[in-house]
Amino acid sequence: MALLTRNADRIYWAARYLERGEDVSRLVQSYGELIDDLPTEDDSVSRWGALLAVLGETHSGSTDDLESKTVEIDERYVVRRLVSDAKQEGSVAQCVKAARSNLRTTREVLPREAWRAVNDLSLFTRDEAVRADDRRFRDRVLTRVIDDSRRLDGILTSSMSRDDAWQIWRLGRYLERADMTTRVVGVRAAALMAHRESSLSYDEVHWMGVLRSLSALQMYQRSTRGSIDATSVVQFLLFDARFPRAVAFCLDEIDRSLDRLTRSDGVRATVTVARDALMSTMATTTDGADLDRAMEWVQSLLGKVNSAITDRYLSIDGG
Amino acid sequence: MDELLTPDHTPRPAAAGLWSLLDDLGPEELLARQHATELDILTMGITFTVYSDGENIDRAWPFDVVPRIIPGDEWSQVERGLAQRLRAVNMFIDDLYNDQRIIEDGVFPPDLLQDSANFRPECVGAHPKFGVWAHISGSDLVRDDDGTFYVLEDNLRVPSGVSYVIENRAVTKRAFPELFGHNRIRPVDTYTDALSRLLASLAPDGVRKPRIVVLTPGIFNSAYFEHSFLAQRMGAELVEGGDLVVGDDDCVYMHTTDGRRRVHVIYRRIDDLFLDPEAFRPDSLLGVAGLMRAWKAGNVGIANAPGAGVADDKCVYAWMPDIIRYYLDEEPQIANVPTYRCMYDEEREYVLEHLDELVMKPANESGGYGITIGSRATEEELTACAEAILDDPRNWVAQPIINLSTVPTLIDGNLEPRHVDLRPFILTGESSYVTAGGLTRVALQEGSLIVNSSQGGGSKDTWIVDEPRDGNQWSQSQSQTQSQGDSAQQQSQSIGGGEA
Repeated sequence: MALLTRNADRIYWAARYLERGEDVSRLVQSYGELIDDLPTEDDSVSRWGALLAVLGETHSGSTDDLESKTVEIDERYVVRRLVSDAKQEGSVAQCVKAARSNLRTTREVLPREAWRAVNDLSLFTRDEAVRADDRRFRDRVLTRVIDDSRRLDGILTSSMSRDDAWQIWRLGRYLERADMTTRVVGVRAAALMAHRESSLSYDEVHWMGVLRSLSALQMYQRSTRGSIDATSVVQFLLFDARFPRAVAFCLDEIDRSLDRLTRSDGVRATVTVARDALMSTMATTTDGADLDRAMEWVQSLLGKVNSAITDRYLSIDGG
Repeated sequence: MDELLTPDHTPRPAAAGLWSLLDDLGPEELLARQHATELDILTMGITFTVYSDGENIDRAWPFDVVPRIIPGDEWSQVERGLAQRLRAVNMFIDDLYNDQRIIEDGVFPPDLLQDSANFRPECVGAHPKFGVWAHISGSDLVRDDDGTFYVLEDNLRVPSGVSYVIENRAVTKRAFPELFGHNRIRPVDTYTDALSRLLASLAPDGVRKPRIVVLTPGIFNSAYFEHSFLAQRMGAELVEGGDLVVGDDDCVYMHTTDGRRRVHVIYRRIDDLFLDPEAFRPDSLLGVAGLMRAWKAGNVGIANAPGAGVADDKCVYAWMPDIIRYYLDEEPQIANVPTYRCMYDEEREYVLEHLDELVMKPANESGGYGITIGSRATEEELTACAEAILDDPRNWVAQPIINLSTVPTLIDGNLEPRHVDLRPFILTGESSYVTAGGLTRVALQEGSLIVNSSQGGGSKDTWIVDEPRDGNQWSQSQSQTQSQGDSAQQQSQSIGGGEA
């Protein structure tokens, strides 16, 4: 069934925001666990800053906050920035809020339970997200966001017609997910690889952290049936055709949805370009700096997919 | 008059079951149930929007858990009266835009029409299907000391509130599941289905599966929740002006992921003047250029029809009994409140002399804005009101203050009487439909008569209760005290046994 262009725009962005909220939650959660496992004698340098790099921001020393005051990039700052401060673009609280306000205007398109799930979550983050600043409560907040995002997927999967709205929702979900996986691989995996020669004593603990941040640890282990190895982790996260957070898998899902939408040739061409670029990075997966650059390249091509989707389905001129 | 209790504080027959349950529950449990409904309303996202309310634009819908109860036989009479009234109103509107027989026959004054702010010359000569213009209306009713129902005003433009009728019932069912199994409470859920069928009937001839859209001004409108709700319940698209376009063929289309798609019926929730910048306000960003052309060509059905508001006017109101007699040759089955029209010298003189006994209303305001209640106004307010009337007499009517009925309402943990009104919704097309009850609004301030949610009013579920089939319907509650049990049983027996 045809979907109103304006609703397509809102559903697409609701899907992206919700996926982003879920992904950032998982990233912060797994990073906290990782740090707990890696005690350090040197307290002068906060290791939390590394997380900001995933969102492409300044991640060491100090920075300017919203009021242009210089602040230390420490745990508190990073958690505020990424989780609890709804004024910060890309924070979990802001993502949930934005997802809600997009879905609030498309309630006639999605199953009613879907709106309730998001509204519920949004009431929770509005009141409770600030408590994520407190380490003891943080996990509860993040787990709730992750669980509710999946609850929503469950509601849609089991009760939504496979119409245009469904396909647009999937485009948003999978594009955001592909983007997030390339960021995690680009920044964190590349950093790890670059230091591989040096004496990082807990190498596999770090790699486990990377996999956990993408909910990939268990499936990775099942698929490789062996110990954790840098190259195979990266290959799993980028090229696996069966793991739903792997970039190649996400691109396949985007293609499947485009098959069900009309007039999708132009958008599909941009997906093909992104996939070719991704596959061509296979050779660089052993070198940290190359990998980082390759991921940035793939991200820029995913950005082109986004523009093509926007032009074709989300703006009135496209019709 | 209290609608649930007699002057000596015993429950009226139809309220006996509710009252004995409230007694059983006790104040703490009742309060707990009130809180549970408030939580439901929050998590279900039932909201209304307040103008210029800063960042938090949607507020939780204010709701009182104690329902209002109206006996079924009394309501059936009201239903007949409303259906009759709307039939006449629609014949009146159709007449005004075509032959103007009622003016020619000297029943309705021509100068009233000339001065009317809601008469749309653009609509003259139009013939909407079935001769119906006001398809959806929400008449405000009040009851006075002896329980008589009066129509206070007819809302024929874009009346809102029906979504809350349905949602209030949903949360009340959760709050008092004990009562729904045993009382014959008329369901309210059928409204959206009836609306959907009415709208479909307005499609251009020959269209088998019409595409229906709800046209909203957008998320900042106070009734946005309702626009969305109705679209959901009817499977219609919720659109804004920018989503629609009128093609060179004078047909209406919407922009979709699949290209342009034809639209056959528009349930518009924006005011006439914003509908079509070509025909009305050129600065309107809410409407669709060319919409009037498409409508007049018969290529799209619009509900309510543009121009229907001409009969939604506190001056026209005063003629309503005459209008009903003129077109239907019947006596009105539901009463009008006596209304003084300030445009007539004699009636204006009376109003100016009796300001403190009357309610003065500007003819073309809604939402309770601009109303002065004489008995509660200060000297300065009355002077200002008199000046406003003299300044623009055509724009003012006055009515005696009706001592509005009350319903017990939970205030700070206690049940206290609060004034209520009632807005039933009436659908008129080939046939008529009236909601079972309607939206009961309650003034939460002690003694206040202002019930609008935009001004701090609350709402209640409204039960139309038919007589029980069996005289023992209300005596099954196990834990009620002996004396209450007896009285409930007596009362239910006294009204029971009538219907098989």
